[in-house]
Amino acid sequence: MHEISLVRNIFRTIEEQFPESAPETITCIYLRAGELSNVQPILMQNAFEAVVQDDPRYKRAKLEVEITPILVYCETCKKTSEVKQYKFVCACGLPTKNVIQGDELLITKVEFLN
Amino acid sequence: MIPLKPKSNRAPVGNIPCDNTTLNLLKANDFVAKAIRDRLPDMLVVNVCSSPGSGKTTLMQETGKRLAGKLNMAVLVGDPETERDAIRMRDVGINALQIVTGGMCHIEAQMILQALDHIDLNHVDLLFIENVGNLVCPAAFDLGEDYRVTVLASTEGDDKPKKYPRMFHTSELLLVSKSDLLPYVPFSVEAVTKDARDVNPDIEVMTISSIKGDGLDAWCDWLLEKVNQKKQSKLTTQKAY
Repeated sequence: MHEISLVRNIFRTIEEQFPESAPETITCIYLRAGELSNVQPILMQNAFEAVVQDDPRYKRAKLEVEITPILVYCETCKKTSEVKQYKFVCACGLPTKNVIQGDELLITKVEFLN
Repeated sequence: MIPLKPKSNRAPVGNIPCDNTTLNLLKANDFVAKAIRDRLPDMLVVNVCSSPGSGKTTLMQETGKRLAGKLNMAVLVGDPETERDAIRMRDVGINALQIVTGGMCHIEAQMILQALDHIDLNHVDLLFIENVGNLVCPAAFDLGEDYRVTVLASTEGDDKPKKYPRMFHTSELLLVSKSDLLPYVPFSVEAVTKDARDVNPDIEVMTISSIKGDGLDAWCDWLLEKVNQKKQSKLTTQKAY
């Protein structure tokens, strides 16, 4: 359900960004989703296909989803560490909510036909 | 076809893979969320999230009763279907409007913006958004709120923060509800607090029972304090979910 909304948001965002380009000319959409964004690639693919059935302008487009790990930056020790098992602590042991990667939901690239 | 005059200065060029864009997918939602914040500079907006059946509506009813005479409260309540929750709240005198999402599992900012035109917000100090019961999808959608409060009933189990990290990560307050049932269920407030603080070191935790009244004074004090802070500072900070 949530994925359907996200796919519609992808289309709306692209159409706003590239108003002069027909959706029919899009061949691939690259999505970067942080581990915290609750996005499952397989469900996104299914939702994408379902939305495209209703909106065949995008039938040429593929969707590529890249999942990025959660990274936090510790202000105290000035180090970046990866959050594992959703435990928001720096390698130095201090808790931190300073997320620098992993909660994003971004379209990183759109490929168009010649 | 090469697109003409793209908005982005990194123009898409033919079929050559090009890093032409970095677009926030929820840009449209976040834009509307900001419009909501701009429209309600003096009003505290609290987005209440939980799974279905955790006691959000009962909490709203009891909160309304306790805060009557102290401040003016209104509730926008989202459900996939029916107007039952808004009726339950109006029954106890709360100014409530139902948002029927038509099967959708979360509320989006646009629904709130539209709802603002259909509820009387004159003199309202505190606007609750009672989200659709769901610990996953609502976490991604900023509704223009100042605070996000997650309600977790003792009957749901204390393992939820690690299972639904984004919701707890983006909340400022965790309310453990149905505390009157704690003696009968295997739920550790200490364990849930520890896990919630693993995913969100800043989260506050309170224990409440809407039926028995335990903890509701502390919850209402929290709300009164935040309402006053909002009025004083006119917070317009944009939160990123």
